[in-house]
Amino acid sequence: MYNLHLTPEQLEFRETVRDFVESEVKPAALNPKRLEPFEKPLLANLVDKAAQMGLRTLALSEEAGGAGADGLTSCIVMEELGAGDVDVAAVLAQTAVLARVLFDRLMTPAQRGRWLPAFVKDDRCHLACVGVDSGTGTGWSYHRPAVEGGAVLVAVKQGNDWVINGALPFVANANVAKLFAVQARTGAGAPVTLLVSRDAPGLTVREPLRAVGEVIRWHHGAGAGVALKDCRVPADNLLGEGAKGAAALDAGMAWGVPQVAAINLGLGRAAFEAAVDYSKIRRQGGRNIIEHQAIGTKLADCAIRLELARNLIWKSAWALDHPEAVADRSVSGLPLHVMARVYTAEVVNEIALLSAECFGAMGVMRDMPLQKYVHDSMVFRHAEDSDSAAKLQVAESVAGYQRPMAA
Amino acid sequence: MDFSLNEEQRHWQAEARKFSDEELRPRSLERDQIEGGFEPWNWDIIEKGSRLGFRTLAVPKEWGGPGADFVSQALVMAELARGDSAMSKAFSQNWKWSHLIASACTTDQKERFLKPFLADHRYVMGRGITEPNAGSDNRMPPENDPKAGYRLRAVREGDHWILNGEKCFIANGSVGSLFFVDARTNPDVNIRQGGTLFMVPKTTPGFRIGKVFNKRGWRFYQNAELIFENARVPHVNVVGQVGTGSVKAGKGDTTGGDIFGDLELAANALGVCDDACQLATGFAKTHKRAGRRLIDHQLTQLKINEMLALTEALRSYVMRVAWQHDRKEHSANAGLVMNWSTDVIQRVTRLNMEIHGAEGCVMNARVDKLVRDAMVWTHLAGDTVQRVKVLRRIDKSMAAAGANAD
Repeated sequence: MYNLHLTPEQLEFRETVRDFVESEVKPAALNPKRLEPFEKPLLANLVDKAAQMGLRTLALSEEAGGAGADGLTSCIVMEELGAGDVDVAAVLAQTAVLARVLFDRLMTPAQRGRWLPAFVKDDRCHLACVGVDSGTGTGWSYHRPAVEGGAVLVAVKQGNDWVINGALPFVANANVAKLFAVQARTGAGAPVTLLVSRDAPGLTVREPLRAVGEVIRWHHGAGAGVALKDCRVPADNLLGEGAKGAAALDAGMAWGVPQVAAINLGLGRAAFEAAVDYSKIRRQGGRNIIEHQAIGTKLADCAIRLELARNLIWKSAWALDHPEAVADRSVSGLPLHVMARVYTAEVVNEIALLSAECFGAMGVMRDMPLQKYVHDSMVFRHAEDSDSAAKLQVAESVAGYQRPMAA
Repeated sequence: MDFSLNEEQRHWQAEARKFSDEELRPRSLERDQIEGGFEPWNWDIIEKGSRLGFRTLAVPKEWGGPGADFVSQALVMAELARGDSAMSKAFSQNWKWSHLIASACTTDQKERFLKPFLADHRYVMGRGITEPNAGSDNRMPPENDPKAGYRLRAVREGDHWILNGEKCFIANGSVGSLFFVDARTNPDVNIRQGGTLFMVPKTTPGFRIGKVFNKRGWRFYQNAELIFENARVPHVNVVGQVGTGSVKAGKGDTTGGDIFGDLELAANALGVCDDACQLATGFAKTHKRAGRRLIDHQLTQLKINEMLALTEALRSYVMRVAWQHDRKEHSANAGLVMNWSTDVIQRVTRLNMEIHGAEGCVMNARVDKLVRDAMVWTHLAGDTVQRVKVLRRIDKSMAAAGANAD
C-alpha cells in the first residue's frame, strides 16, 4: 500500500497558505528596507493574521477549537510559511505543536476548562516550553551515559504550591508566549511539568539576543532567555503525573520536529524558485543562463535535494502519526524525524548557496533576498543541537544503544 | 627544492603580521557591523598601512616604490587578511594597478598618476569593467554576439573622449582617486576589438559615484556604481592602443592584471583560513560538551584536521604560484589556485562554523563574518566563468603542445 495523493483538504490548505505568503508575507519579508538592516524584528502583524487564519491552532484538535491537522498536513502548511518568513513560521509552529500536546494530551478536563478558552480566543496567545538546556544534546554523549542534560530548573513543593527556580539561556517563543510549560527537577522525586503564565511573579523573560555584537543571535522565531526566581504556581498547574508528563511533553515536541524541517525546506524552495526565475531572464554568454550547463547542474542539484528532503520530512511526519506502521515494519524504526531535520538543514544550506550563486554579485547584496536565505539556512544548520551531534543520535539508534538512566 | 624565505620576505611578513594584529583585527568586527557598511570609511587604517608600505607595495623600486616581489606580496596579503579580509583587499587592489601602470603606461602617464599615487597616503585605485548587463560576458565574451560585454560608450571629440554609461560593483568605487575603465570605442565589434581601457581620475568632469553596494561580506571594501554623463577623458589617458580590449592594452604586463588578481584572491583566502583554524582550535580547547573538551571529541578532531590540511595545502599552492610569478613562469596554476582557494575558503570557514555551532542559539560573530567574507569568492570574481576560462587556457596550451608534437 503506497499512496502519495494528498487529500483535497491538504491541497486546499497548501493553496490558501501559499496565496497568503505570496500576497502578504513575501512583500513584507523581502522588502529591501527590511532586508538591509541587521536587526529584523518579528513581523508580528503577519503572525497575527496567520493566527486569524487558524495557523496558530493548526495542530490543536477540532474539539478543542483548532484545525486538527495531522503531522503531514502541518508540514505542508509550514513549508509554505517557511517559504515566506522563517521567523513567522517558527513562532506559529511552536505554538501549534505545544497546543496539541498541552491541551489535547496533558491537561485534565478541569485544567482544559481553565486554560483553553482564553488560549483559543486570543490570537496573540502563544506558547513556550521551558525544558532542557538546548546545549546538552545527547549526541555528544555518544555511547556513554549522559553526564549532563535534563531539566535545569528545580521545583519544590511548598504547601499547596510549587516554587520554581532556575534559568535557561534560550527558550523558543519566550518573547511572545503568554503561557509556559516548565519542566523542572524535584530533587529526589520525578521531574514535573508545570504551567506558568507570563505574568506569574518571579518569571522574567530576558532581552532577545541581538544580531550584532561579539556574539550574535543564531535562532529563528522569537526566543529569549527565561529566568524563574521563587516563582510560585498552584498545584493545580501540574500537568500530567511526574515523569509521565515530561515524557508526553518530549514526545509532543518530537512530533513537531518534522515541521521545523518543513519550515527549513520552504526556505530552500524559495531560494531555488528565485534562482530558477532569475536564470530564465539573465542573459550572459549569448543565452539565458539557465541554458548553460554550469547553471543547469546547480539547479538540478537543488531540485533533487528538495525532493529528497521533502520525501523524508513527510515520511517522518506520517510515521509519527502511524506508530503501527513502524510496529509492522512498513517503516524504519530509526528516528526519521531527526534524520529529516539534519538532512534538510544540510541540503537547504547547499541549496541556498547554489541558488545565490546563480545571481552572481547580486547574490551577496543585502537588499536582495538571496543572502538572507543563505543566512537563514546557516542558522538552521548550526542552531540548537548541532548537526553532527544530532547525527550521533541517529548512530546510537543504528547501533541499538540504550542509554542508562542518569544517576 | 628550498622553501625558506629570504630576509626581505621575512621582513614584509613580520611587518604585515604586526600591523594586522595591532590595527586590523581589533577593528575588524566593529567595522563589519556598521549598518549600510560604508560611512565613514576608516581612512586612518589606509594611511597607517600606507606609511608601512602596504598601499604601494608592488610599485617597482625604480619608480620609488617598495618593489616587493610576488612571494612577499602573497605573504602580506595573507597576513593582512588574517586580521580582516576586506581590509587586506583594499590594500592589494592597488597593487594590481601598480603592476599595470609600471608595465603598460607611458612615461607621461606614470608621471601624472604613479607619482601622486606614491605621494598621497589616501590615493587608492580601482578598475571599472562590470555593468548591470555585463558580468561574465566581459571575461568570456560569446563568439557569436559582438554586442555582449560592457557597453559604456566612448566617442572621440578632438583630444578627448566623451564617456557615457555606468559601471557597477566597482572596487574602491566610493573612495578611489583613479579608475581604469573599460569602454566601447566601437560598439559594432566585440570588446576585444571595440574596447579600450581609459584612466579616469575621480575629478573628471561628468563623472560621479552612484550608489555604494551593501554586501553580505567584505564590508570594509567599498563597491560602488560609477556614472558617466558626458565625462570628458583626455586621449592621453588611453592605456595602450585604442580598440585592443583591456587585456592587450596591458600588453607587456605579464605579471599584473588578471594573473595577479588570481594570486590575490588565493593569498587572501589563505589568511582567512588561518584565522578560521585559529578560532576553531581555540574554541575547541576551551568549550566542553558531555564533560569533555570539544577537541577531545572525534567529531571535532576530524573537522579541525581537515581545516588544517586544506589550509596548509593552500599555503603551499599559493606560495608556489607566487614563486612562479617571480620567475616569470606563467601557467594555468594562477587560475587554478584561485578556483581552488574559493572551494577551500568555503569549506574551512564553514567547518569553523560547524564547530562553533555547538553553542546552540548563539554564534560567535567573527565566525559568521568569515563565512560571509568567504561567500564573496563565489560571487564577485565570476567564479564559474573563471573556472571555465582556466580550462580554455589549458585546452589552448594542450592544442599547442599537440601541434608541436606533430
